[in-house]
Amino acid sequence: MQVTWRLPGGKAVTATVDYGQSLMEAALANDVPGVAGECGGSLACATCHVYVDPAWAAKCGEAGEFEGAMLDLAEHRRETSRLSCQLETHPDLDGLVLEVPAS
Amino acid sequence: MTVWTPTDDGYADLSSHDTFAHGAPHNTFARLRREDPLHWTEFAGGKNFWSVTRYEDITVMNKNTEVFSSARGIRMEDQSYEEYLARRTFQETDPPEHSKVRMKLLKAFSKTTMAQYEQDIRDLCADILDQALAKGEFDATKEIARQLPMRMLGRVVGLPEADLPWLVEKGDALIANTDPDFTSHVLDKMQTDEFRMMPFNSPAGAELYIYAKELMEEKARKGDTSGVLNLILEPAKDGSVITETEFRNFFCLLVAAGNDTTRYSIAAGIQAMCHQPELLVQMQEGGAVWDTAADEIIRWATPALYFRRTATRDVEMHGKTIREGDKVLYWFVSANRDESQFDDPFHVNLHRSPNRHLSFGQFGPHVCLGMWLARLEVTVLFQELAKRIRHIEAAGPHKFLRSNFVGGIKELPVRVEAV
Repeated sequence: MQVTWRLPGGKAVTATVDYGQSLMEAALANDVPGVAGECGGSLACATCHVYVDPAWAAKCGEAGEFEGAMLDLAEHRRETSRLSCQLETHPDLDGLVLEVPAS
Repeated sequence: MTVWTPTDDGYADLSSHDTFAHGAPHNTFARLRREDPLHWTEFAGGKNFWSVTRYEDITVMNKNTEVFSSARGIRMEDQSYEEYLARRTFQETDPPEHSKVRMKLLKAFSKTTMAQYEQDIRDLCADILDQALAKGEFDATKEIARQLPMRMLGRVVGLPEADLPWLVEKGDALIANTDPDFTSHVLDKMQTDEFRMMPFNSPAGAELYIYAKELMEEKARKGDTSGVLNLILEPAKDGSVITETEFRNFFCLLVAAGNDTTRYSIAAGIQAMCHQPELLVQMQEGGAVWDTAADEIIRWATPALYFRRTATRDVEMHGKTIREGDKVLYWFVSANRDESQFDDPFHVNLHRSPNRHLSFGQFGPHVCLGMWLARLEVTVLFQELAKRIRHIEAAGPHKFLRSNFVGGIKELPVRVEAV
């Protein structure tokens, strides 16, 4: 599937990524700046915070309870904030657009 | 073979604290990564254990807390179930239990909360550096590296300035409990087991327990919520509040873990400046280097040499069987020098990016709670140091801590030319 990460400052990274991984892992594999994923997806750090493009928000669903609590700790939380370790690559998300928060 | 540590012939005893008194045995780690990435390590002081030395293996295993549990101890020494219960902190738990306690502490140590301390750190650095640099020749661990984390801990938790030296002494006795310079109860040389039920197997743990209890009571009486205590004492989202035992355990952890890891990162960075003079130039050029410098210094230092897990069931790996109950050590110090992950890993490259080192135990739920504070302290300290000096060099040989758990330069004689 294809994913685009819009970066602060206007640039973007677009990559084709495999299924069976999280979007945090996909970001790391593509060296997307600003997505760190320091706890490896165990909901302990909020360093893989992204904004889901509004057009994709419904398909991505809402943050879970624990994820929501972690997002409270992230900088610049918005309505569309998600931890990308909790978003799985999936055929329904082909073409997904994410925005990386300014750090 | 490249010789990184002259005393290490590639077959060093990883279970011995003495091995690390000459620095981490990097020749041995390099050989193990190459030839025997899951190495059955003999341990005279207890049950043998598995040593995992490759970056990729550690990152995969560290996530898998169901198979590799923290709940039976996190150091290579064995402990009974009763000792474990008496001494454990939330470091020695697995999700979801671990997550519940961690949740109560995260806000206090979040990047946003820590960023508010930047000016405090800068002021402290100025004070510490002005005093140290005026001496011209001094022990950089003692005069610089040891000072900043101790004084920041005081600010962050809201502790009386007068208590700080005592606290650091106790913290050192806890975590450096294998170096006779830091404790009279050297862990692997003790004749009795009278302290085995105390935090970190040390009488200092018991003293810190009492201090934490009294501190809490005193603060409650005065309504004092300075530092991050108010954030720690606030109910979490699910309404749960930190218990007294959790707080006391956490306080010990803070004094021990929050102190010497940052200290030894700073010391390693200063030592790197002595043998790679271009680092000072790069720091003085400034700009983007500060986005990456702290992580490279912290990779280079790797103060937490390993953490241990225990297998909860039999598992096959590299053609061997890890049995249920076997201890498994993740050697972060080896992973951070893994040639397959880092180009030129034995070179300090302040511009290294990406730099997914494992010094904070990344890629697992136990990733360092204090990592944002540590990064900020390291960044600001080196910014302020670089402003103030023209030249820095070793003024004699440095000495490492006698510990295979905490890696650090405990004595670092340097000579500086101030601006």
